Amino acid sequence: MADSRFHKIKQRRSERAPLTAHGGLNLVPLVDILTSIVFFSLATYTGVALAAMTAFDLSLPPTVITAPQPQTTGKQPELTLLLAVRINTDGIRVEHSGGNAAFRKDIPGLGQSSLNQLHDVLAGIARAYPDNKDVLVVPDDAVAYDDIVKVLEQARLASFSNIALGNRARATQVASASRGGR
Amino acid sequence: MASRAKAAREARRTATFQKFRLTELNLVPLVDTFVSIVFFSLTTQTLGDMTPTVNGVSLPQSSVGSLSAHEITLGIASRPAEMTLAGRRVMTVQAAAQSASNVPNEPLLIPELYRALHVTADSIRRTNDIPADQSVDATLAVQADKGMRYDLLARVLQTARKAGFKKVSLQVLKTGGEAS
Repeated sequence: MADSRFHKIKQRRSERAPLTAHGGLNLVPLVDILTSIVFFSLATYTGVALAAMTAFDLSLPPTVITAPQPQTTGKQPELTLLLAVRINTDGIRVEHSGGNAAFRKDIPGLGQSSLNQLHDVLAGIARAYPDNKDVLVVPDDAVAYDDIVKVLEQARLASFSNIALGNRARATQVASASRGGR
Repeated sequence: MASRAKAAREARRTATFQKFRLTELNLVPLVDTFVSIVFFSLTTQTLGDMTPTVNGVSLPQSSVGSLSAHEITLGIASRPAEMTLAGRRVMTVQAAAQSASNVPNEPLLIPELYRALHVTADSIRRTNDIPADQSVDATLAVQADKGMRYDLLARVLQTARKAGFKKVSLQVLKTGGEAS
């Protein structure tokens, strides 16, 4: 009878009695859990820095077609406008094929005022062609990645969601790793 | 006689059940569980939207963009100037910029990076049972230094696509506004 469940419970309760004698909760399991959390946090720490990030999901970049492409059946999405934003180290050029005459707007520089101007131009195009969500960004080779991201940001702010990065035809295959100029 | 024995049995049974009756509720495990839930909820809420950044990369900033997920990350760092794929060093940036393609009609290809990306894509194909000649659905997240020139980025994008990645995401630091 001394080994009955009741006696075991009673024995455990009497063992715990000093821990809860002050009338509070038994904090030992809580300390156990917190110790485990701290231990595994330290054990799994890899030194990776975390940051709040956002992303630009790109449409497929243009590629050199080396094989015959299969004929696609079914209706293709209708292209309403060919809109291109060219970036070079001196400024930005916006071109599109809409309307009776081709549109072209040159914006000098890559500073904040130029970006504001770019936003106004793109927003105007977005209002004129509300069905078009596509924009092709064609940076020059020497343009810095930071400047490209700023242009992509303006395109997103002007409600262009399908962004493609294009590149000009190259005679050489060697890139430069140095910092791009402004 | 029989009724007295029966009454005695009933009394013993009642006394036995009386011993096992719960007279108090132990709230300690409940409190422990709730503390754990609150702790992990707060941790997840704080760190869940954050993405690991590649060491040595000075990322550009943007106030708009898509939500950034934890994906296969290709880092193009400047301090030190090297490319990493999923945390593993692939080659130096200088070597990538100066490497010549070994594939005809593919002048932008970076062979060493192509091999590393192709191994990763093959691994995904095997896992998801995708034929060898098809692109994978996994997104390749590019974390590149803001000082990098576009000609190198164009080569990286082209190499990634040829290796089998059809989705590429440029990850940048988020500032101010909401992600859309």
